[in-house]
Amino acid sequence: MTTAEFGTHNWGMVVDVDKCIGCNACVIACQAENNIPINTQDRVERARSISWIRVERYWEGDFPDAKARFIPIMCQHCENAPCEPVCPVYATYHNSEGMNVQVYNRCVGTRYCANGCPYIVRFFNYWEPVWPESLRNHLNPDVTVRSRGIMEKCSFCVHRIRRESRNARSAGVEIADGAVQTACSSACPTSALNFGNFNDPDSKVSRMKEDKRHHTLLDQFGTDPNVIYLAKIDADKKVGAGEAATHG
Amino acid sequence: MASQAVAYESEHHAPPPNVDADLVARELIATTTGASGRFKAWTWGLGILSIAGIVALILKFIDQSDDSTKWGYVAAMVSFLLSVAGGAPMVAMAPVMAKANWVRPITRIASLFSFAGVATLIMLIPLVAILPPLVTEGARRRTVWYMAPDYSPHFWTTLSLVLLLITGIALFYSAAIPDFASMRDHSNGWRQRLGKRLARGWVGTDAQWRTLRMRIGMFGTFYFLILVFVNFLFSTDFGQSMVPGWRDAIFPMYHTVSGFQAGVAGVVIALYFSRKYMKLEKYIHLDAFWSLGRLLFALTLLWIYFFYSSFIVFWYGRSENDIATLDLLIKGPMIYAFFAGMILLWFVPWWILIWNKVRRGTTMMVVGSFIILLGLLIDRIRTFVPAWSVPGDQIHEKWLKVIPETVWPDIFDILIMAGGISLVAFIVMMMTRVIPVLSVWQVQEFNLLAKPIKYIKGHATLVAKPD
Amino acid sequence: MQQRRELDQVYTNRKLLNGQLDTPKWWLPTVSILGVVVLIGVIVIATMINKGLGVTGLARPVFWGLFITTFVFWVGISHAGIMISAILRLTQAEWRRPVTRAAELLTVFSLLTALVFPLIHAGRPWRIAYWIMPYDVARGIYPNIRSPLIMDPVAISTYLTGSTLFLYIALLPDLGNLRDRTTGWKNAMYTVLSLGWRGNPRQWKMQTVGGILLSALMLPIFVSVHSIVSWDFAIASAVEGWHSTIFAPYFVIGAVHSGVSAVVTMMALMRWLWKWDDFIRPEHFDALARLLIVVATGWLAFTFLELTFALYGQDAPEIALREMQMFQWPWNALFIVFFLTAYAIPVPMWLFKRVRTNIALMFWTSILVNIGMWLERFLIIVPGLARRTPFVYTWEAYRPSAVEWTIFIWSFAWVTFLMLLFSKFFPLVPLFEQKESQVFTDDVMIGRAKIPAIVREAD
Repeated sequence: MTTAEFGTHNWGMVVDVDKCIGCNACVIACQAENNIPINTQDRVERARSISWIRVERYWEGDFPDAKARFIPIMCQHCENAPCEPVCPVYATYHNSEGMNVQVYNRCVGTRYCANGCPYIVRFFNYWEPVWPESLRNHLNPDVTVRSRGIMEKCSFCVHRIRRESRNARSAGVEIADGAVQTACSSACPTSALNFGNFNDPDSKVSRMKEDKRHHTLLDQFGTDPNVIYLAKIDADKKVGAGEAATHG
Repeated sequence: MASQAVAYESEHHAPPPNVDADLVARELIATTTGASGRFKAWTWGLGILSIAGIVALILKFIDQSDDSTKWGYVAAMVSFLLSVAGGAPMVAMAPVMAKANWVRPITRIASLFSFAGVATLIMLIPLVAILPPLVTEGARRRTVWYMAPDYSPHFWTTLSLVLLLITGIALFYSAAIPDFASMRDHSNGWRQRLGKRLARGWVGTDAQWRTLRMRIGMFGTFYFLILVFVNFLFSTDFGQSMVPGWRDAIFPMYHTVSGFQAGVAGVVIALYFSRKYMKLEKYIHLDAFWSLGRLLFALTLLWIYFFYSSFIVFWYGRSENDIATLDLLIKGPMIYAFFAGMILLWFVPWWILIWNKVRRGTTMMVVGSFIILLGLLIDRIRTFVPAWSVPGDQIHEKWLKVIPETVWPDIFDILIMAGGISLVAFIVMMMTRVIPVLSVWQVQEFNLLAKPIKYIKGHATLVAKPD
Repeated sequence: MQQRRELDQVYTNRKLLNGQLDTPKWWLPTVSILGVVVLIGVIVIATMINKGLGVTGLARPVFWGLFITTFVFWVGISHAGIMISAILRLTQAEWRRPVTRAAELLTVFSLLTALVFPLIHAGRPWRIAYWIMPYDVARGIYPNIRSPLIMDPVAISTYLTGSTLFLYIALLPDLGNLRDRTTGWKNAMYTVLSLGWRGNPRQWKMQTVGGILLSALMLPIFVSVHSIVSWDFAIASAVEGWHSTIFAPYFVIGAVHSGVSAVVTMMALMRWLWKWDDFIRPEHFDALARLLIVVATGWLAFTFLELTFALYGQDAPEIALREMQMFQWPWNALFIVFFLTAYAIPVPMWLFKRVRTNIALMFWTSILVNIGMWLERFLIIVPGLARRTPFVYTWEAYRPSAVEWTIFIWSFAWVTFLMLLFSKFFPLVPLFEQKESQVFTDDVMIGRAKIPAIVREAD
């Protein structure tokens, strides 16, 4: 891999909260793509379920004026990530393409990074993952299966990025805008999730970022995330730029 | 008996045995009269500087009372004076509580600094008038007075400082009654009349001594509690609360501990000059400098500990308000003051005070103390001047978005700073004309309790522990 | 306050060495029971490492729970040793003498126990060798010293090394003493350990200077160890209730409070179990209790500052956290118990001399303090994690599992087990210090009163 392939991209996502209908297709797609263990009822009840992307739902108002607010949250791949300096073994670090990467075979599972993350998007494997015999064939060969004791989180489907980078290099071209799609963004029926390269001024995400509804989550923590949110438009309310999308 | 008490003329440490109590009283009372020409010259000079400072303060108030951003240097001065004049009586109180013997002769000179609290109060008054109320332009800034009325900081800080002054004077007076009795017996003129009035019939019965010790214990504890409280209030209301986003739980403690450091340094300076120019080598032993040196060393290390505790949390946290606070107080306009303060308050005193030889002597100790006081002044300027320079419209933001311009001192500020320091020195020096600079009864007690002895083949001190 | 007691050397030797020269009747049954508990605990730990951390009650977002609380607790207890032996040695306080060795022992053993917890709480403990080695053995990468989790083992292992050295240097004269009184394999053991101690002036001088130097060197460590442990929490801006600048001195003073109380517990037990009434006297408990009053009140001031400035920021998430921590079940019950046991019950009791010199009362109040201090750590660590930021969706409760409680109990059994084992071979009260105190104290006549006095070196 030459340096031409690395360091020229700044991968990020733009999430248009206005378009999100809360269908959770992104959650399922991510689960299937990334070999995430099955979230049994017991695990969900004990808050040990793993979902690299989750759709939070908040209720606002009372019946008959109740509104549901959805917000998909995944790892924000912060430029100033609070999870990175605290790992004792450098299992998580920021790569030159703007992504916060998790190195599974280096992780010893101290869970300090999870405590530092204000978005709570880091997950710990409390048990060895077990799939029934019938489901073994569905595992994605491009993605490591994590053993117990290891932290994991959204990786912006880095295996897809690598595959496209290799293809583009052998073809001798740049990666086209839209050629790399994360599992969640390709599954989203309303195009609420958009993935792309912020370094390319003509890419879809760079153009969407300029929308005056744009904001980032929890900016008081100074994390400088690579996921931009576009606020929801209420028909009966005037929305200014910077209005927080979290209600509740 | 494990040892033989043999009369031994120890060089500096314990007094020669059987020093006549009456001689002690006469010699120490004699120090209140017979001021040398040098003493008079210095008091005149300091007095004039003090008056210049007060005049400058009044003029500044007339001229600049509408703009709070120009009052940072006065705030720094109040903090500095509070630290020195407030912290010094701690030397009179804390080792006494710990039943240390070495402190007995020097408690008076530490206690005299309580009177210098008047200087702090004088500087505070215009500041209280200038301090913005909690609610300005409809918004309430962050404060420890959560639901309290708008002028709470003004009221409580003033009240606590007045209480500190009163308690300090009460502590002084409780310990001074036997000395006023000595003055009644050995002085003449107005001093004798004053001694008689203030001694309130002291004859030295058991009951009177018990009451005396109880009062010292009570006022001492109370003084300590109020001192911590005043430091907490002043550093928060007049410092932290002025900067949006500055949330520093350790700052009150940092302010208090550096206050103790400054107080001990002030006591060392006063001791040095008293010992040298009033010829009190017989009474102020090098033991006092040795112990004060260890205390000063420990407090110097504590300074860097408290400072670093806040710094690492801000630096690591990297949230917006942490970064803004660091930019304002350390990285921004105040970076030179920061380095100067750190070197003078920690690095240099550390490497001076670490040597046994330094602590056994006096010259380097007083040099180190002056360095510490200079460093403290710079450090207070570093924290209070930027705090006050935040303009009124920014005070209730979530965090500081724009770092304000550096405020330089004008001629009023310089005169006020010089005047404040002079006033403290002036008050302490004038008080030594009223009452002996060393506590007569405590020196007598020290002589009774500590005896140099020959121990097997060497020399030691036998210290009686009556409590 | 200091009472003179004429105790000759023969009596001192016989009484203080009764743990080594004879074995008390209660020793074997107690050690056996403790040994069984220790074994059970080790088996449970092994099972947990084998099966995975799922056996604990941890969940998202409470990623740290009982294990880290207990880790901080044991590090806190370890601060007793330095406080008592080093600081009181440097300030030449005579009343420290019977307790210095027991305090240093408590330090060493509680540090060893504390070190177990970060190992077992990690997801893959067998890989932690990568991290403990300060060398790039794993793929050419050194450990990340910017992480407080690396600063922790550095500080703790330095403290452990220093304390062990300190303990050993202080043990040397007594080891010589024991060597001269035993035969057989015990004699061989003591001969090797006493390093040829003869008690001549040169050796005494080296031993004393060594002790003083180590005391002075350990003081910065004393302050920095628990500060570094506190920075595990203080630097995380994402967790409410953690990101406060006051954590470092707050934890240190809490550690002194907790540690000195543990020493009081230990001293009372030592006096009762080995019948050392002549050596561990009410005046020692009196002095310790007065120290504790000052330390506890300082701790209270820091707690007050922490709470005040938590609310000072007027951040809705922080206020929501404090509201849960103090007013909602079950946290409100824990908070009340914590405050009562850590300060409100013991300290007002200690204001009375009758309580301070009553050894049974001192024993029970010191245990109360440690219950309260463990709860304090729990209340700092877990609520902040349970109620995170504005994402209400992720708020969760934490209930420690039986496995966690077992390992918690194991840690107490382990420390006691080690101390009792040590007491079989080495005296818990330093003989030479005790004899020194006889020689360094004296009586003087002042007027008509006979006053106890101590001999100080002429500097």
